[in-house]
Amino acid sequence: MTFPPRRPPVEGIFVKKRKQCPFTSSGIRYIDYKDIDTLHQFITERGKILPRRITGVSAFYQRQLTKAIKRARHMALIPFVSNE
Amino acid sequence: MAKTRKHLYEGMYILSATLSDDARQKALEKITSGISGRTGEVHKIFDQGRKKLAYEINGRREGHYFLIYFSIETPHMTEMWREYHLNEDLVRFLTLRTLAVPERIEFKSIVQE
Repeated sequence: MTFPPRRPPVEGIFVKKRKQCPFTSSGIRYIDYKDIDTLHQFITERGKILPRRITGVSAFYQRQLTKAIKRARHMALIPFVSNE
Repeated sequence: MAKTRKHLYEGMYILSATLSDDARQKALEKITSGISGRTGEVHKIFDQGRKKLAYEINGRREGHYFLIYFSIETPHMTEMWREYHLNEDLVRFLTLRTLAVPERIEFKSIVQE
């Protein structure tokens, strides 16, 4: 079975917007575990860490971010799991 | 003899919220005297107050948070950790190396597009 050739994407409709790392663009050099408001933007309601394919965080900052989240969890600043 | 160097540390401590003001002060003094008694130096103490814990720790739902900036010789840290684990008023602690003592605890908010 052969498939018909795929139509080329119509310009202006399917153009993907490139995500930018929120940490790089706002000039944050070090992600602190005490900064709970920022960390809350990168975890789900359940408390899981969001993958960077969704948030657009660069690999360098994602490594810092996971560490900060895990430290904050240890200090009971953010939950490991929340059932709310 | 191995060379020992002094480093700056940042310690976050959760003291039990059930302690009275005097007992809490005493518990904090125990921590600070543990630092200064080992040729360390306490630079700054931030009292972050009573906070609700994100999850229950040993039946406790609240804790009193303290942030202490101090410098101490590195080998003494392991001794201090051992002491912290035996301290029953101390719910949790976290000590990290830092580079500077901040004036205030505040953070820049990120710009989301």
